[in-house]
Amino acid sequence: MKRIIARSLYTLVVLFVSSVAVFYAIRLSGGDAIAARLPASATAEQRSAFRDLIGLNDPIYEQYLNYMGGVLSGDLGRSLTNNADIFDMLLEHGLNSFILGATAFALVFVIGVPLGMLASVRRNTWVDNSVMTFAVGGMAVPNFWLALLAVWLFASTLGWLPSAGCCSPRQLVLPAIVLAMEGIALTVRMTRSAMLENMEQDFVRTLRAGGLSETRIVGKHVFRNALVPIISLAGLRIGQIIGYALVVEVIFGWPGLGQVLVNAVLRRDYPVAQFFSLVLVAVVVLSNWLADVGYTVANPRLRKA
Amino acid sequence: MMATTTTQPILSIKDLRTSVSSGGQTFDVVRGVSIDVYPNEVLCLVGESGCGKTITALSIMRLLPDPPVRIRGGSVEYRGRDLIKLRRKEIKSIRSNQISMIFQDPLTSLDPVFTIGHVMTEVIRNHRDISKEEAESIGMKMLHEVGLPAPERRFHSYPHQLSGGMRQRVMIALALVLDPDILIADEPTTALDVTVQAQILEKLLEEQRERHMSMLLITHDLAVVAAVADRVAVMYAGEIVEEAPVDELFSAPKHPYTQGLLRALPQVSYKRDKLESISGLVPPPQMMPPGCFFAPRCPHALEVCWEEHPELTAGNGAKFRCFNPQPFQP
Repeated sequence: MKRIIARSLYTLVVLFVSSVAVFYAIRLSGGDAIAARLPASATAEQRSAFRDLIGLNDPIYEQYLNYMGGVLSGDLGRSLTNNADIFDMLLEHGLNSFILGATAFALVFVIGVPLGMLASVRRNTWVDNSVMTFAVGGMAVPNFWLALLAVWLFASTLGWLPSAGCCSPRQLVLPAIVLAMEGIALTVRMTRSAMLENMEQDFVRTLRAGGLSETRIVGKHVFRNALVPIISLAGLRIGQIIGYALVVEVIFGWPGLGQVLVNAVLRRDYPVAQFFSLVLVAVVVLSNWLADVGYTVANPRLRKA
Repeated sequence: MMATTTTQPILSIKDLRTSVSSGGQTFDVVRGVSIDVYPNEVLCLVGESGCGKTITALSIMRLLPDPPVRIRGGSVEYRGRDLIKLRRKEIKSIRSNQISMIFQDPLTSLDPVFTIGHVMTEVIRNHRDISKEEAESIGMKMLHEVGLPAPERRFHSYPHQLSGGMRQRVMIALALVLDPDILIADEPTTALDVTVQAQILEKLLEEQRERHMSMLLITHDLAVVAAVADRVAVMYAGEIVEEAPVDELFSAPKHPYTQGLLRALPQVSYKRDKLESISGLVPPPQMMPPGCFFAPRCPHALEVCWEEHPELTAGNGAKFRCFNPQPFQP
């Protein structure tokens, strides 16, 4: 319990520090934030007046305080490019991203864990070798290339699935698999090695001496022990998926947070870029926190005696 | 409780051969071990590390890590059946139910992510067709019997919440909960503090007596042997070199290896300047001499000892494997 509270406080600190970092980084990246809002004929005075109006001439810490004050009181502001309400954008694109990310996350475990178990119980057979070859491939191939390959094969050549768009189940298949691939590969390898490691433990011999069947020992006891590292790293998988989602959403034209964020950064749309970055940071940090809680739950040795 | 020669052995190991494969080579680590375990007795299997005593014990229960360790021949007869020839399903129903085993290291021998009660209940219900609640109450009673403090609470504890001695009590409870005929205890006290060792041994002996169970206790500690054994079998380089009732073994050991072991034991009754050790090393398993395996280290080796392998011959109550036995001088 103490551990969980400590981790929660730590999470808040990380959120605060990253909000400052994001705020400054975007402002330091150069470019003109208001170019899109004013006609090309606007004079220097007009531009300066507009900067004053939206607070860009204030000292940066004041901008930060004003901004965070707004965010904490529920006013997220509007986009500098199209004046859209950022909260509405978050709902719309956040949902799309959630659908894609959650599907990919589920695939990581639904495919990765059983494949890893299969490889471990068929160790050093052709089954194990094929699974491990697949896993090495999945880790080695960069996802943007895998995305192009998948589009070429399944969309252009075979015509089985649409190459882009949102948000039917058929359109979800390719981006979700591409997004999940590295996570699947890592999970396969981790599951296999954790299973093999636990099969060698003394407690397995005790259970055998107890007359339990091999299926039960491996399927329940060894698996449950192997789950500890898998669960503890599940949070990292979320972070990874969010990182890759930026690329995958753009390639597959999936209108999620990643795509909006990329556009906002390119156009120096500060309020949108700031807030969406913060959302992504928050999700990553929260997922790590969840992983930690999950690890504590999965591993009785970390609970208070 | 002494075994009498008229009773039938409950477990009869005959010419057991177990081999290890490593780096493309296969060599025997148990070389034709024959031991009988009689009802109600405590038989100690003694020998130094690597002599094959643990492999012998694991062979009985068919718990060897195969590969690389395999039973190559021999038989282990229990109630008219050869355990080595049993199908997997049959040996599983004998494990824990009729023959049980506890291990050296109680710290790693329990599943860390399940409670003690969970595993006990699972093992009980694996062999008995009873409800979860019944199994739990049997398990709790057993924890109480082995002297675990606050058994109701400990039942729901995880292994890491218990001390080494408590964990070994849990292991004993787990091994005895189905009331087996034979308990094989492989160095059950080696990993424990000396005071805890005595408590655990006492508990094991008490259970053995009350349940009229046979116990095969594997140890390298002659003090343990002297305290608990009815009979002793001494193992060297994968074979039994001497087998005798405990009093006889300590008062008149025949085999030079046994004699060496006893001379290496500190004694209060006669003072020595220095503890003796047996000179030389055990030959590696792939380079055993053709004659007596102990000949290279034996102070009384004759020519025949280098050429012929001695058989286990019966003497006065004891059996030993030596061409040139000498009277024991402590």
